[in-house]
Amino acid sequence: MNVGLTDLMSMAKPNIEAREKFLSKLGNKELVNCFQCLKCTSGCTALKLLELKPHEIVKLVNLGFVDELASSDIIWTCVTCLKCVQRCPQKASPYHIIMVLRNMAVEKEVQIPEEYLKAFSRILETGLAEASQEVSTRKMEVFDRESLNLPKINFPRESFQAVFMKIMEEK
Amino acid sequence: MPRIGVYVCHCGLNIAGVVDVEKVADYAGKLKDVVVARHYVYMCSETGQRMIKEDIKAHNLDRVVIATCSPRMHEETFRKTVAEAGLNPYLLEIVNLREHVSWVHSEEPEKATEKAKDLVKMGVARVKLLEPLEKRRVSVEKKVLVVGGGIAGIQASLDLADAGFRVYLVEKTPSIGGRMAQLDKTFPTLDCSACILTPKMVDVARHPNITLLTNSEVTNVSGFVGNYEVSVIKKPRYVDEQKCVGCELCTQVCPVKIPDEFNEGLSQTRAISIYSPYAVPKIAIINPNHCLRLKYDKDVCGKCLSACEAKAINFAQQPEEFMLKVGAIILAVGAEVFDASKMPELGYKRYKNVISNIEFERILNASGPTKGEIFSPQSGVSPKTVVFVQCVGSRDKRFHEYCCRVGCMATLKQAILVREKLGKNVKIYVCFNDMRAFGKGYDEFYRRARELEIEFVAGLPSDIRSAPDGSLYFDVYDKGTNKLLEIKPDLIVLANGLVPNRDLGKISALFHVSRSADGFLLEAHPKLRPLESLTAGIFIAGSCQGPKDIPDTVAQASGAAAKVIDLLMSGVIELEPLTAVIDKNLCSGCQICESLCPFSAIEMKKETVEGVEKVKAEIVEAMCQGCGLCVSACPTKAIKMQHYTDEQFLAQVEACCSEEKTRRGR
Repeated sequence: MNVGLTDLMSMAKPNIEAREKFLSKLGNKELVNCFQCLKCTSGCTALKLLELKPHEIVKLVNLGFVDELASSDIIWTCVTCLKCVQRCPQKASPYHIIMVLRNMAVEKEVQIPEEYLKAFSRILETGLAEASQEVSTRKMEVFDRESLNLPKINFPRESFQAVFMKIMEEK
Repeated sequence: MPRIGVYVCHCGLNIAGVVDVEKVADYAGKLKDVVVARHYVYMCSETGQRMIKEDIKAHNLDRVVIATCSPRMHEETFRKTVAEAGLNPYLLEIVNLREHVSWVHSEEPEKATEKAKDLVKMGVARVKLLEPLEKRRVSVEKKVLVVGGGIAGIQASLDLADAGFRVYLVEKTPSIGGRMAQLDKTFPTLDCSACILTPKMVDVARHPNITLLTNSEVTNVSGFVGNYEVSVIKKPRYVDEQKCVGCELCTQVCPVKIPDEFNEGLSQTRAISIYSPYAVPKIAIINPNHCLRLKYDKDVCGKCLSACEAKAINFAQQPEEFMLKVGAIILAVGAEVFDASKMPELGYKRYKNVISNIEFERILNASGPTKGEIFSPQSGVSPKTVVFVQCVGSRDKRFHEYCCRVGCMATLKQAILVREKLGKNVKIYVCFNDMRAFGKGYDEFYRRARELEIEFVAGLPSDIRSAPDGSLYFDVYDKGTNKLLEIKPDLIVLANGLVPNRDLGKISALFHVSRSADGFLLEAHPKLRPLESLTAGIFIAGSCQGPKDIPDTVAQASGAAAKVIDLLMSGVIELEPLTAVIDKNLCSGCQICESLCPFSAIEMKKETVEGVEKVKAEIVEAMCQGCGLCVSACPTKAIKMQHYTDEQFLAQVEACCSEEKTRRGR
């Protein structure tokens, strides 16, 4: 997952125009008004395993390194727990920034991590982001939904798939 | 025919950067009755003022219009200028081209210039109708009310009393001393807080010019600068102040234990107690909410009655009301400490080992709940790792946007004291965002903390968590190392900021003093009049104006005292002649104005006109504040506001809507 942003950055110059363009997409300037207290990164769910540093994303956006971010894998590591939004003392929001960056990545037709595409087709087929799973106990007994008397999952109608595809194409 | 001079100020580029001042001056020069019109880079400078004075003499001007910054800034300056040239100072009109034009229309310079022309034209129309006025002289009470007995109130009271003024110091709690009395040491010198404060507290009690009213609150304020009338309620102590010797025998026998407010609830005191070890006055007080006899109104308990050798206990004591006449008031009501339980992620009040900085101050203090020994509250043993977390409730848009101005330095002090008390083997971390050490000797203090191996982590934790065994841990990302540090502290001290006093809303209404957006009291000007409120004769000092440390508070308190001395010294003050006047021929005696006047400045007098007795309204000039309520309410238009007459306003409206402008097609 490490994308070597640091190397790219050390070469680059701040890009005010890219920042302005990004801000017009973000819509609210307050969301990038960060004073780097690092509270977001201290609590980031995706930091320990995936090395997402929200404060760094906000700073990079403020300096205009938007294209580099949109093409990097790091923006796809956010698990959208929204802790950073809740606790930011300046009401900035790494989460909103990351969402805009993801949309930009799709627009640019950057390769999206496979898991995301899998999730997309799962939703299209089953209406669910995660497939239903079997569970096993410590005694290695295996249960599925039926054996646990859980209701059956209905698959979406064809009209759902049509609407879903339409939304995806519009965005 | 009036002879008018018009002066357009550039204010450097403040006005001239947007408004075409030359065009405005040219335009003014062509207006009727304008004899001379000029523009200059700084009208308020010595050269600018000399230009006006010379013109008044050379061109025989009898009225002056100055188009410049807000009249709040320089009206007084220019009144003096025209007076020096022999004109009545009220024959001057200020047109505001800065706040009303250039600063607000910086995007549209052409339209701004047009607006400036219109405003100048309106000013010229009004100045023609101005009348010469004389200032009123009113005698003043050479007595001062100081509200709040913290270090600000103490300092101001002592300064005023030493200068020979009678001072009434009103304090809400049973003792003076305020926040400073709760502190252990003070930064950056590590002086013992009590050692430098208590002598001043004793001086207040002893000073022949100071009347100390503790356990008291102001309930009403009326009057005006120089002549305020204030009522103060002194709540009952249920202990005779004259008889009590402060021996504390009563405290030892009282069976009711309650949290000790002075120790931030960390220890217990009794329903009858002495407020703090250094209380001034050192007189016991009974808490009526907890005392069994006062609570149940029966002949229960009464142990203190028999214990008191001085026979000072008096359960029948009633509130006393005092009416004070004072010339000026200093508000020094202080601030409160932020309640960190509003930030659930930090676990304050949820985890025993998370405490606030003011609580830690009591713990560090030799007369505090632990006699100055530092324990981890949960285990009761000396902590191995102590963490300070900065900016709690401050610099945080969710709570208070401002910097608390004391949190960084208080933490440095407390961290140094932990090192001194617990020695080398204790790990001390300070998690901070920006370390603000701006005062005299403060950055040196920061360096001293680093020399004592206090670790500074550039980053704030997102949350503090508790393991199943109750021990605390948290992650914090450090900017310097780019590492996520995992810290397991056994004591966390939160740098809670200062917030406005909970009574400040009530106080601001009572004294007619506004509050700024942050909730603190608003000064008349943030730079040039920081000690005055916008109500004449009411001054502000200390942290009720904004968070402040002790050096700034004391400086402000002495400053406010000096302002009061300046105001009341001569025994007479000059008031603006901007009062209402009544045309008795038009007055119908309806009394509407009398009922409306908020300053009780209107009296109804009986008069005999041609054998018929009539009631007529009369303005008490000394009381009138020129608010204009009566003017707009009078059904017969008998009342006129001096310097702001209907005719003057209408002339401005007419100038603004004149035909010439309609022709310009707007």
